Amino acid sequence: MSTVAYITVRGLFGRRRALLLLPLPLLVIGLALICRSVGVDADQWGQAVVQGLGLAVALPVISLIVGTGVLGSEVDDGTIVHILTKPLPRRDIIIAKLLVAAGVSAVTSAVPLFIAGVLADSVKFGLALSAAAAVGALAYSALFLLLSLVTRRPVLLGLVYILIWEGLLGRWVSGTRVLSIEQYVITIADKLAPTSMLAGKVSVPVAVVMALIFAIGGTLFAINRLGSFSVAGETS
Amino acid sequence: MSDAGVIHDIGYQRYQGPRLGRRAVFSSLYQHGLRAAFGFGRSAKSKIFPWGVAAIALLVAVINAAVRSQTGTWLFDYYSFADSMSWLVIFFVAIVAPELVSRDLRSGVLPLYFSRPLRAFDYVSAKVAALVTAAWLLLGVPQFIMFLGGAFTTKTGMKGVWHELGLLLPGWAYSLLWALVFASISLLIASLTGKRAFAAGGIVAVFLMTTPVVGVLSVLPSDTSRHLAGLASPMSLIAGVEAWLRGRGDLGIDVGDFGVIYGIEAFCLIFACLLLLLARYRKVAAL
Repeated sequence: MSTVAYITVRGLFGRRRALLLLPLPLLVIGLALICRSVGVDADQWGQAVVQGLGLAVALPVISLIVGTGVLGSEVDDGTIVHILTKPLPRRDIIIAKLLVAAGVSAVTSAVPLFIAGVLADSVKFGLALSAAAAVGALAYSALFLLLSLVTRRPVLLGLVYILIWEGLLGRWVSGTRVLSIEQYVITIADKLAPTSMLAGKVSVPVAVVMALIFAIGGTLFAINRLGSFSVAGETS
Repeated sequence: MSDAGVIHDIGYQRYQGPRLGRRAVFSSLYQHGLRAAFGFGRSAKSKIFPWGVAAIALLVAVINAAVRSQTGTWLFDYYSFADSMSWLVIFFVAIVAPELVSRDLRSGVLPLYFSRPLRAFDYVSAKVAALVTAAWLLLGVPQFIMFLGGAFTTKTGMKGVWHELGLLLPGWAYSLLWALVFASISLLIASLTGKRAFAAGGIVAVFLMTTPVVGVLSVLPSDTSRHLAGLASPMSLIAGVEAWLRGRGDLGIDVGDFGVIYGIEAFCLIFACLLLLLARYRKVAAL
């Protein structure tokens, strides 16, 4: 299991595409620094940076790239066969990959959010943001890991979820918020450190329970899918 | 043993038909790109995403035309139709651009392409032209439906139709600007990686992460930075160009006296992306 995790980490960071993960966190920190140094009131820029860029873009996009990268790229390359033929329970493979994905996306999104939160309000707000981001990273990773098993176009489906479901519908149709991980993250962060910058739109129990359902349900279903996984060629 | 480097003539028949040149290669690459953009000639699975996006755009246009013919008021005019479809356009180029260039990188056909009388310029311009046409069709056809709706319900006869046409043509030009900006940026990003998945993620990330920058820059305590904030993101850049050319200040973006800078940046952005694309294809690896 630790070998699977090690191979996954090397697959993520061993190539140039790991650099894709850098610009988003740097942009969050950079914008927060600029606003802070110019001396704008945090109420004006806090929401744009923390929610608009950090929670709505950086966290889901990083989780999408990492979450579909850990398993999806192995499926694409066909190297998944080497892992599947080893005498390992499929459960261990999924859990190892999920832990790596969630860990990497949690670190790369929680650190810039912590810094932005400290610059915007207080250390408490920063800690609340990074805790909520970690929960969100786990739920997103489980979802995108599952997507890379049930479909051959996981990134596009993930983008549909982020752009259309969370971005477009979540803004106007209130019912879709119950199934939007972004709203859980906002609610949890707002509960841990109430500020005027974030406004949670779902109740706290719903947020926590649904985030857990996404994480655990996604993992269980992914284990089930990998149990009967068939290797196919390139999509047409 | 014969001299090294001699190719023996073992009697196969030579090809004596016409040899098509660069223009034929260009036009077949363009046609193939345009067909691939909408999934023609591919399986049903690869038609889902592009046609899903196109269906939403068409649906919005039909609803818009219906509402207008019933009540006489627009939900959107031709310009704001393109603006309000911006998320769809982002998603569309994120699907199609990797399909056009990343696939070639991944399957390693570029050395084969470039061993033909095809130059990097032809390849790049065929791909750009295909994506620009596809993205323009995505916006232009719904606009044409809106035009038909307006033209058939006009109360002033032929004069009304001409008036409507006068509104449609600038709207089409505006959609062309959208298509040019989005196509050049997304092809540049997609040409960097052979994985379609990563290319799609990268394209969306670039467009999404620039939007909040505009919001942040516009709250800085300086009029100049407020007027120039829109330069930071392609979407607000195009809206700024529209505000400059139409002399409107009520479009949700305030360009002040800097409108011409928006025009210059839009031009330079497209031009720079195309030059970088050309530089990208000066050398292609043979896997």
